[in-house]
Amino acid sequence: MSGAQNREAVFPTRQSLGLMKAKLKGAQTGHDLLKRKSEALTKRFREITRRIDEAKRKMGRVMQIAAFSLAEVTYAVGGDIGYQVQESAKSARFRVRTKQENVSGVFLPAFESYTTEGNNDFGLTGLGKGGQQVQRCRETYARAVETLVELASLQTAFVILDEVIKVVNRRVNAIEHVIIPRTENTIKYINSELDELDREEFFRLKKVQNKKQRDTAAQDAEMRAKRDAKTAANQAEDNKENKGSQDILGEQEDADVIF
Amino acid sequence: MEGLLFNVNNGYIEGIVRGYRNNLLTGQNYNNLVQCDTIDDLKLQLGPAYGDFLASLPPNPSTSSLAARTTDKLISEFRYVRANAVGSLAKFIDFLTYGYMIDNVALLITGTLHERDTRELLERCHPLGWFETMPVLCVATNIEELYNSVLIETPLAPYFKGSLSHQDLDELNIEIVRNTLYKNYLEDFHNFVNTDPEMAGTPTAEVMTEILEFEADRRAINITLNSFGTELSKADRKKLYPAFGRLYPEGSYMLSRADDIEGVRLAVDGVGDYKSYFEATGMGQNSTGAGNMSGGAGSDGKSLEDLFYQKEMEISKGAFTRQFTFAIVYAWVKLREQEIRNITWIAECIAQNQKERIGNYISVF
Repeated sequence: MSGAQNREAVFPTRQSLGLMKAKLKGAQTGHDLLKRKSEALTKRFREITRRIDEAKRKMGRVMQIAAFSLAEVTYAVGGDIGYQVQESAKSARFRVRTKQENVSGVFLPAFESYTTEGNNDFGLTGLGKGGQQVQRCRETYARAVETLVELASLQTAFVILDEVIKVVNRRVNAIEHVIIPRTENTIKYINSELDELDREEFFRLKKVQNKKQRDTAAQDAEMRAKRDAKTAANQAEDNKENKGSQDILGEQEDADVIF
Repeated sequence: MEGLLFNVNNGYIEGIVRGYRNNLLTGQNYNNLVQCDTIDDLKLQLGPAYGDFLASLPPNPSTSSLAARTTDKLISEFRYVRANAVGSLAKFIDFLTYGYMIDNVALLITGTLHERDTRELLERCHPLGWFETMPVLCVATNIEELYNSVLIETPLAPYFKGSLSHQDLDELNIEIVRNTLYKNYLEDFHNFVNTDPEMAGTPTAEVMTEILEFEADRRAINITLNSFGTELSKADRKKLYPAFGRLYPEGSYMLSRADDIEGVRLAVDGVGDYKSYFEATGMGQNSTGAGNMSGGAGSDGKSLEDLFYQKEMEISKGAFTRQFTFAIVYAWVKLREQEIRNITWIAECIAQNQKERIGNYISVF
C-alpha cells in the first residue's frame, strides 16, 4: 500500500473529506455484511459437501445393488429384455420437479423426484419367467435414480455456491484490502493537505499581523514626532505672543498655523 | 423293439450328443470357477471346455461378451447336430428351435409396432431361433402386412392361426402374444412327440412328455405369480395356460382363479413336487414375501425359480439315462443353456464383487 499514489483523485477540501468519511463508513458496514454472508454461505457449502460425500457413497452402494439385480434378471430370464422394456415404456413413471431455495440471497435449485403411481408400462415383461426379478430390478433402479437425482441437486447447489462464495470473497477482499485502505489514504491525504493549508494560513496571518504591527508602529512614531513638533511650535508661539503684541486682533498678520 | 433300428439313422447324433454332454462342466469345475478372483482367471478355467471360442476375447472381457462366446459354442454344436439329423429327429430339432423363434418374432413384432427399423433388430435375435424367412419379416412396415403376408410364411404360422388376429397383435401386450404363442407351441410339441409314428410309445415320447409337462406347469405357475398386480385379467390369464401338464385340468383351473400366492399354493397342492417347492421357499405362509428369487437382502434359501431350474436340470440329466431317444438333444440344449447362465452368473458375481451369492448356480453333474 504505497501511500501517496494509492488514493482517489479528489480535491482536498472539507466537503470531499466528509464524502470520504461517509464512504469509509459505508465500506466498513458493507464489509461486515459481506463477511457475514460469506460465512453463512461457507457453512452451507460445507454442509453440502458433506452431504455430497454421503450421497456419493450411497450411490455407490445403490448402483452396485442395482447392477447386481440386473444380473439376477439376466440369470432368471436367460436373455436380453432391454429392447422389450425400452419399447414398452410409454410414459415416465419417475419424474423430477425443481424448486428454488433461498440461501442468503442465492437461489439454489433443488430437484425433487416423485413417481407417478399406477404407471407400470412393462408390468408384464418376463411373464413367462423372471417377471418378479424384472419388477424388483425396476424398483432397485428407481431407488438408484432417486439417489442420482439427490446427488444432482446437491452438485448443482455445490457449483452455484462455489461460484457465489468466490464472488463474495472477492468482494470482501477487495473492500478489505483495496477500498478501505484507499479511502483511508485519501482521508489521510485530505487531512494532511488541510493541515498544510491551515499552517499556511496561520503563517500568512502572522505575517499580515506583523506587517500591520509594523505599520502601526511606524504611524505611531510619525504621529508622535508630529505631535512633538507641534508642541514645540506652540510653545514658541506662546513665547512670542507673551513678549510681542498684546493685541491679537491687531493689524499684524498672524503666522499660519500648520498642523 | 424301438432300439432295433434307431441307430440306423440316429446313432451318430446320439453318440455326438452324449459326447457333448460329457463336456459339460461338472461340480468340480464349478468349484474351481467359484474360486476365481478375476474374469481372466475364469476364462483360464473355462479354457479346456470352451477353448477356441474364448481365445478371441480381449483380456478381462465383459460378462456379456463372455456369455455371447459361450452361446456361440452352443450354436455351432447345435448347427452341426441339426445338419446331421434326418427324418423325425430333424423335425424334432426344428421343434426345439421354435421356442427361440417365438422370442425372435415377438422382438420383431415389437419393433414393427413401434415403427423401428427392424433390420437392426436381427442382430439381437437369438441365433437358435433363426429361420430363413426371418429377414423377410423386416420388410413389413405395418402390423397388418406383417400378419397377412409375412408371418404366414414362418414356421410359427399355425400358432398364430386361430388364436391371434392381426388386431390382437396391435392391441394386446406383446408379452401376452408371446405367451399365447408359447402355449400353442408347447401343446403342438407335446402333440408331436406323442403322435409322430417314429416317436409315439418310445422313450422319446415318455421323456419328452415329462419335460414338456413340467415346462407347461412351470409356465402356468410363473404366469400366475407374475400376473399379480398387473392388468392381466383372470380370463386372459387362463388362456395362457397350456392344456396339458400335471396340473391340468384341475390345477390349471384353480390357478386361473388364484388371487394371491396362497391360491397358487392351494392349486399346486395336488402335485407333490410343486407342493414341496412351495414349502421349501416358504411361499404361501407369508404372502408379503412375494418373490421368486429372493434378491437383494435375505437370500439364504433358494427361490421358487431356482428350484424349477434345478428340477428342469434333473429331468434333463435323467434323460441321458435312457437309450435310443431324441430327448437327449433337448436335454443337452437345456443343460448347456443352464451352464451358460451359470457361467454368466459366476462372472457377474466376480465382476461385481458379490462373492456371497456366487453359489447360486445350479450344477447337476
